[in-house]
Amino acid sequence: MIGTAVAVGGGFQLNEHGARAMAQGGAFAARASDASAMYFNPAGLGFQKGRSFYLGTTFIMPKSSFFGPLQNNSNEETKMVDQTFTPINLYGTYEINDQIHVGIGVSNPFGLGTEWPEDWSGKFISTKIDLMSFFITPTVAYKVNEEMSVGAGFNIVTGDVKIRRVVSDPFDPHAKAAIDLSGTGYGFNVGAIYKITKELSAGASYRSSVKLDATGSANFDPARSVYPIGDASASLELPATAFVGVAYTPIENLEVEADYQYIGWSSYDKLVVEFKKDGSKTESPKNYRNTYILRFGGEYTMGDFQFRAGYLLDRSPVKAKYVEPLLPDANRNGMNLGVGYKINEQFSVDAAYMFLKFDQRKATGTEVNFDGTYNNSANLLGVNLSINY
Amino acid sequence: MTMKKIIISFIALSALLGALLSGCTDSAPSGPTPGLGGTTVTKYVAIGNSLTAGYQSNGLYESAQLYSYPNMIAQQLVTAGAPLAAFQQPIYSDPGIPDPLTGKAQRYEILSFTDPKNPVIGPKGSTPGSPTNSTLARPYDNLGIPGIPLAGFIDTTGTYQSAPLGRDAILRWTTNALLGKSVFRQVAVLKAAGQTPDIVTFWLGANDVLGFATTGGTKPASPTSTTTFAFLYKQALDTLRATLPNAKILVATIPDVRAIPFFTTVGPKMAAGIPAGLYLRYQKHGNSGLAFDSTRLTESSAPLITLKGSAYATLLGQKTGKWYKDNAYPALPAGIDTSQAFGFHPQNPWPDALTLDAGEQTNAIDYVYTFNATIRSVAALDNAGVFDAYSFFNNIKANGYSIAGEKYTADYISGGLFSLDGVHPSSRGYAIVANEFIKLMNSKYGMSVPYVDISKIPGIPMPLGKYAAGAKVAPSISLEAWKSFDALWGSGF
Repeated sequence: MIGTAVAVGGGFQLNEHGARAMAQGGAFAARASDASAMYFNPAGLGFQKGRSFYLGTTFIMPKSSFFGPLQNNSNEETKMVDQTFTPINLYGTYEINDQIHVGIGVSNPFGLGTEWPEDWSGKFISTKIDLMSFFITPTVAYKVNEEMSVGAGFNIVTGDVKIRRVVSDPFDPHAKAAIDLSGTGYGFNVGAIYKITKELSAGASYRSSVKLDATGSANFDPARSVYPIGDASASLELPATAFVGVAYTPIENLEVEADYQYIGWSSYDKLVVEFKKDGSKTESPKNYRNTYILRFGGEYTMGDFQFRAGYLLDRSPVKAKYVEPLLPDANRNGMNLGVGYKINEQFSVDAAYMFLKFDQRKATGTEVNFDGTYNNSANLLGVNLSINY
Repeated sequence: MTMKKIIISFIALSALLGALLSGCTDSAPSGPTPGLGGTTVTKYVAIGNSLTAGYQSNGLYESAQLYSYPNMIAQQLVTAGAPLAAFQQPIYSDPGIPDPLTGKAQRYEILSFTDPKNPVIGPKGSTPGSPTNSTLARPYDNLGIPGIPLAGFIDTTGTYQSAPLGRDAILRWTTNALLGKSVFRQVAVLKAAGQTPDIVTFWLGANDVLGFATTGGTKPASPTSTTTFAFLYKQALDTLRATLPNAKILVATIPDVRAIPFFTTVGPKMAAGIPAGLYLRYQKHGNSGLAFDSTRLTESSAPLITLKGSAYATLLGQKTGKWYKDNAYPALPAGIDTSQAFGFHPQNPWPDALTLDAGEQTNAIDYVYTFNATIRSVAALDNAGVFDAYSFFNNIKANGYSIAGEKYTADYISGGLFSLDGVHPSSRGYAIVANEFIKLMNSKYGMSVPYVDISKIPGIPMPLGKYAAGAKVAPSISLEAWKSFDALWGSGF
């Protein structure tokens, strides 16, 4: 029940952590040349100078339609309720000396939500779900020499989930279930960047999985005493992810990069929510598979401006049988454009736009007996402000 | 380039890209589109018994009749584009038809759930409703008459449509001469009036075995003979086909009695209440006195206890003669000694009328099996489609019915598919039946009628209170309340 949501990375992963990287398809692990390195590759901090803040948000506007369910011999369209999501990214860096840099970042690497009309034919599966997680990441980077830097960060993670669906039992009227849970967890990330030549650099980073033990409450309306009203808990493992990338400067002022990102989703095999009142559990199998994202991007500097473009190919971790309205996932293609402008020595701004196109996904033989086709796409707009002080 | 120009260019480029790419969203996928596949559907008529009339919880009332399977089929036909006029049923306003013995509405409601495993169910004692369209100037589209056996379709003498007491209540208000003495006649009248049905569903035969089964094999002591059934079914369907040579006729087989909660609810609960070392002593078929068999109710050959037995299951082991008192026996049958432990002593046995012993079960099953063979072969000869309700309900009993994140089962109350009398489906159960007829229509005639969305169908009205979901719920229903139920199968009053 909990934890799955429409998202803008495979599964419910978000990858928009800074408008500069976003504009380049998120291909940033080999350079990580701004404070968002704390997400992409902590080693990147080692090559940065001075002190800075990098603050921003991304406006995510998904659009989704479901056609079906085939179980009703229907191909009728149900549109997901339009919502806009605004994951934030806030980073601060501080140069202790030429070799040691520290920083702290706050970002939302997992999250988002889906909302369907309250009385739709899939209401016993889901009407609304909201998932949000914050990663607070104190980071340290060490510049070994002019070619190499390593970094590590500690992740303090908070997660919040709200689930709404309609309960079908023999009686009238249908009860509405509301489950609200929150929890904390811990993880770490490490990374290294190696500048092979002046033009060529390679980077790799790894972020560990995070086990979130979430607790909260389950409420039902009407509150028939058969329902497990009261405390509820669930355990969720946010997957580990690894980036490997290569960046190249073919001509002056132009940088291009290609990254491969691996996400260990197979740890998400099922979702279990436990109810304290009677010890009952609801268990829904997810059986996610490990998957990857290919990222390509580049940046061209012209005076105070930088023009960016990128492309990403994001493979869905959701297997066909488990596609459901909670998370109508599919393979995705992202097309990105962006620009950065250096206002002065202290301030610069970055803006990015992405169009994310999901493959049309036909789901048959589903575990939840709710077959049909999903059309999904999303428009994203990211803005960031960079402050050097 | 000035900053202003660059910013404008970026915005313009992004907007252009956004517009271009947004246009790249997928078109609607191909899939089932509502339609009739070129078939003409201007009239649909349903023939059957209480299952067709939309009987629920031992009553016939408007809010249940709205969810009769014929009414739902008609609605789906309209959604598929059929120019059907409003589907007319003999509506009886809530709370429905009266029990002739009490004059109050006879439908069962949940009266109390204080004990979540043993809810009190019965008529509420409300003033009954009244017919709302008894002056319809033509036969109804829903010709389901509660209580008629197969013979009732063609019978012209009124044997099955007037007295005994029970059926008068249902048919008294259908006073128009058109619904005169035979169901078949109504079809002929429609045809004469230029309203020939294009689609007919025909589901009769259940009452030919359910009277026997629901009374524990006592009233009647045997289902309708298989030769009589075969003769009548052929006569019925041949006549229907001859009158409506071009109509699409759909029939259904009769479910296995063991698939419905009326027979499967009380037994398991009683089994749990039999102390170690003791056996339930029960009367076998045809016995009214001492002759008995014994069981722990867990063997594969164990008898089934009818839902009526729930009122007496709590009396096991007590020195009681309540059964004989409730049934107004003038004297106790020979050998019966009510000072012995009820149900555990051979001289105070569990009654035959509340039991479907192994022999009676085999009997019922064999009759149903033979009836269904008749139905299938006659249907083939008369080119009628067959909805195999027998296999369908057996499958639900074994595996449940899973759809759109929900699983319905054949359990009493908690399963969601049967109403409070344990025999008639609930509104959701009827929706599933409607969908099976629609699937048959679609596959046999190349139509594409959308199914009923079960998630939109209401459940059983229930007072707030305790309820044990998933638990085997056995109700407490008084014997009085069952009298009007028995009338349905020709054995009451």
